[in-house]
Amino acid sequence: MTRDHGYPVRLGVAVDPSVLTPDGLTRLARTADEAGLDLLAVTDAAAGEASGPSGPDPWTTLAWLAGTTDRITLATHALAPTGTAAVLARAAADLDRITGGRLELGLTAVPTGAASPALGVQPHAGAVGETIAVLRSMWTADRGPVRAAGPLHRVPGAEPGPAPAHELPVWLSGTDEALLDLAARTADGWWTEAPDPTTVAAAQSRLDAAADRAGRDPAEIRRLLTLATLPDLPALVRLVVEDGIDTVLLATTDPATVQHLATAVAPALRDLVAATRRSRGTRPAPTRPARVRARRRAGIDYDDVPAGLETVEPGDARYRSMRSNYLRGGSPGLVLLPRDTEQVVTALGWARSQPVPLAVRSGGHGISGRSTNDGGIVLDLRHLDAVEVLDHRTRRVRIGPGARWGQVAETLQPYGWALTSGDYGGVGVGGLATAGGLGFLARQHGLTIDHLRAAEVVLADGTVVRTDEEHHPDLFWGLRGAGGNLGIVTAFEFEVAEVGDVGFAQLAFAVDDVAGFLVDFGALVETAPRDLTPFLIMGRPRGGQVLAQVMAVVASDDPETIVARLQPFARLAPLVQQLVQLLPYSGVVQRTDDVHAGQGEPVTRSAMLEHLSPQFADDAERLLRSGDLYFFQIRSVGGAVNDVPAGATAYAHRTAGFQAVALGTSRERLDRRWDAMSHHFSGIYSSFETDRRPERLAEIFPGPTLARLRALKDRYDPEDVFGHNHSVAAAGVAAPASRGRAASPPAPRPA
Amino acid sequence: MSDYGHDLLLGSFITPTNARPEEVVRLARASEVAGLDLVTFQDHPYQPGFLDTWTLMSYVAARTERISLSGNVLNLPLRPPAVLARAVASLDLLSGGRVELGLGAGGFWDAIEAMGGRRLSPGQAVTALSEAIDVIRGVWDTSTRQSLRVEGTYYGVRGAKRGPAPAHPVAIWLGAYKPKMLALTGQKADGWLPSLPYIKDPQELVDANARIDEAAAAAGREPSAVRRLLNIGGTFTTGASTGFLQGPVSQWVEQLAELTLQLGFSGYVLTGDDERSLRVLGEEVAPALREVVAQHREEAAR
Repeated sequence: MTRDHGYPVRLGVAVDPSVLTPDGLTRLARTADEAGLDLLAVTDAAAGEASGPSGPDPWTTLAWLAGTTDRITLATHALAPTGTAAVLARAAADLDRITGGRLELGLTAVPTGAASPALGVQPHAGAVGETIAVLRSMWTADRGPVRAAGPLHRVPGAEPGPAPAHELPVWLSGTDEALLDLAARTADGWWTEAPDPTTVAAAQSRLDAAADRAGRDPAEIRRLLTLATLPDLPALVRLVVEDGIDTVLLATTDPATVQHLATAVAPALRDLVAATRRSRGTRPAPTRPARVRARRRAGIDYDDVPAGLETVEPGDARYRSMRSNYLRGGSPGLVLLPRDTEQVVTALGWARSQPVPLAVRSGGHGISGRSTNDGGIVLDLRHLDAVEVLDHRTRRVRIGPGARWGQVAETLQPYGWALTSGDYGGVGVGGLATAGGLGFLARQHGLTIDHLRAAEVVLADGTVVRTDEEHHPDLFWGLRGAGGNLGIVTAFEFEVAEVGDVGFAQLAFAVDDVAGFLVDFGALVETAPRDLTPFLIMGRPRGGQVLAQVMAVVASDDPETIVARLQPFARLAPLVQQLVQLLPYSGVVQRTDDVHAGQGEPVTRSAMLEHLSPQFADDAERLLRSGDLYFFQIRSVGGAVNDVPAGATAYAHRTAGFQAVALGTSRERLDRRWDAMSHHFSGIYSSFETDRRPERLAEIFPGPTLARLRALKDRYDPEDVFGHNHSVAAAGVAAPASRGRAASPPAPRPA
Repeated sequence: MSDYGHDLLLGSFITPTNARPEEVVRLARASEVAGLDLVTFQDHPYQPGFLDTWTLMSYVAARTERISLSGNVLNLPLRPPAVLARAVASLDLLSGGRVELGLGAGGFWDAIEAMGGRRLSPGQAVTALSEAIDVIRGVWDTSTRQSLRVEGTYYGVRGAKRGPAPAHPVAIWLGAYKPKMLALTGQKADGWLPSLPYIKDPQELVDANARIDEAAAAAGREPSAVRRLLNIGGTFTTGASTGFLQGPVSQWVEQLAELTLQLGFSGYVLTGDDERSLRVLGEEVAPALREVVAQHREEAAR
């Protein structure tokens, strides 16, 4: 009977660092790396000797070799873990992150012996079992703290994380019963050593028996084998297709042998194994272990994901950092992480074949956009994050949708350039640059979309089009304001501006007369030169007072100009804090590395306003004092924004001077209060609006804009695949499945 | 007022943020390119936002060629000393003698305990550190064939194997502030590595140096056996001084020279993660400072 379960075949080299010089070791690793070998393992030859080991430290050696190589997978082999288990968890996850997912962890245990605190915990099978449990909890725990009862590796309550960069497997070596049982119960694979292939079958039988005892499918346990000498090719093939060994390593110190293994043996072995598997009809093994597969969601054919597409699913360690958005919790069934336009096409086509919701995500900051979901697929564009200068003379820059604005600002800063974006560096490019982009340079430079010159778009049917004023001009029009409805932009081409250092003011006021403050603020902004763009934030009143924070950019590096622009604001109300800095734009919209952990659904309303009228200000004050809001922001969006005709882009609010957003806790209460203020408003900016009642649509896309967009929707996305952010599809027109997708909020998951 | 006469070391103190490991590695490499002697990383193994410092150092050692590396300072309670000794010696061998051992007794005991470390009182932690130094030096000492025995309450060892020996005499630098730690520094360490922001008053540096000197003398060592290093923060400006190490290069040179010649410091490690500042430290401050210090020492020797 064959034990071949269809895992990919790998060839590697196992080195014992105690028998090589540092230079010899480095040379061997580089040879293996450059020759294309799959795996480089560092053997802990002195593992767990009772008196302590004396040779090179295997973990240190492996981390060093990680630094000397670029491509090869690295594994500890028979590492006896003696240190603090939670520290090893971090170390392993970190090395995996540093190397971009090249680490595997091969552990072993030693027979019970005397422990010594200086040497750490004696790593017998029980202790190693505890270590493995701690590793997995630290890597995958959704929310902290991680606890382990011990007795040997007691963890009273560690912060979990970080997650490794990939599903970091834990292999176990050893042949005594305790270890076989431990491997059968917990390991991702079992790693044996044999002088030659003849003894392998018997050893495998013992593991299979242990798996049976533990009630685990032996096929779930991968098999690694280190050989002392290289057998002939037929024997190697038999090891794979009969004995079920998927990773064969040769213990050697000779670079020439490594070269031969990688360039001659590996391709031949792969071909022969593939041929045998074809003739036998061996199915490829699942890409995830059973404990991960157990957390899969219904409706997604996980085994059918197109080859080469990176995925993250609910049982994966990285899921924690990808499930949610900035303000919205999510539980998608699968995250697809395409690397380029071609993979976006593949991912989109495949996702459409799955009967579950689809969300598209760039940075995950979207408040209106549902870029996560419950049980569906998220097409996450984070890898499409290149920022490239195409032409210095015209300041033409190509930016991927997965880049974040802080990164864009940082990349453009050395050129003395900037592209107006939002007010926060963690926001992704794709969502903002298809909606509008109300940023700190708005009054001077207009909207982000006003700088767009061309875009590459993947349409719902998988067609890739390049669009600009000449090519698909209708699409180019629609992308600038309603892009989320029409396709997935895989590259933006912007003409960016020359922007030197700017004045950045953070002022805080204690406000008693909120309405008066709002009116005065509005009047100041409207009469100020365009180089000033202030944003105002207010929160819940405290003791009758409201704290008003004004963040303003003065697009000038002249201190006198900056002071002149800000001076009038000092008279608005008593200043309780002030900070004015001269910074590059990248210091205002700063690079961040946020990981989103939103929960629930944001409750927001938003509006465009021509002016901050006394009537609006009175209502706004009542609203703030009601306690139904916890965040209220007004952005200045006049000036250059309004130089563009309303019909020139799908963002039509070209007469508004201000944009307001309110964040509350109760949908019902916020809607009631905001609805009553609707006579003050001239429209809605799509990105901050979470009210899903149908009348919002004509406020987001007023006048002829909606009709034009519906025509575009019919042409470019007739089935409303991109319907999760204020879909313009006319009711009754869109396909039922899509409509249901757009209208139903995530259902609570059963506990 | 003493100058212990050590050659000057200039280094960087890099925050090992794990959100973008490549950025941390880049700053380490930039430190080397800037001509700095030393790149160091703080070690808080209980902090999930930081890279594991020892793993990071091993990786960075492979991606650099000339610069020395140290923890600043490594957390002893979560790194058993015999394991640590073997790791340090291994990396020193792999990197051709570029590793120094900055070590601390541990301070954030709640977090240490939460990870599975043993909670000690400050006094116990000093004793444990003292034992650990004996274990570490014992593991490194392969001049004897006798197995290693260290009597101790926390890290006692009975009959452990020795080795490997590092490629060069690895210096043990202690992050020390309180009297017992300073005494241990004088008694056993090769260096003292405090952070200036934790020092409230320059007089504290003078007093601490005196304690170290005293403890060294009591242990029969020359005070100069203990190098004095200092983690410093500051900014380079083109205008006038706005405070200690807040000003132009000339001011930095003057103030660091004073620390060197008056208080005996000979290693300066710059915090802040700012590549431009590291470049200025390595390319402008370092040569000028070395020249000024050499000149004064020459004059003093005459």
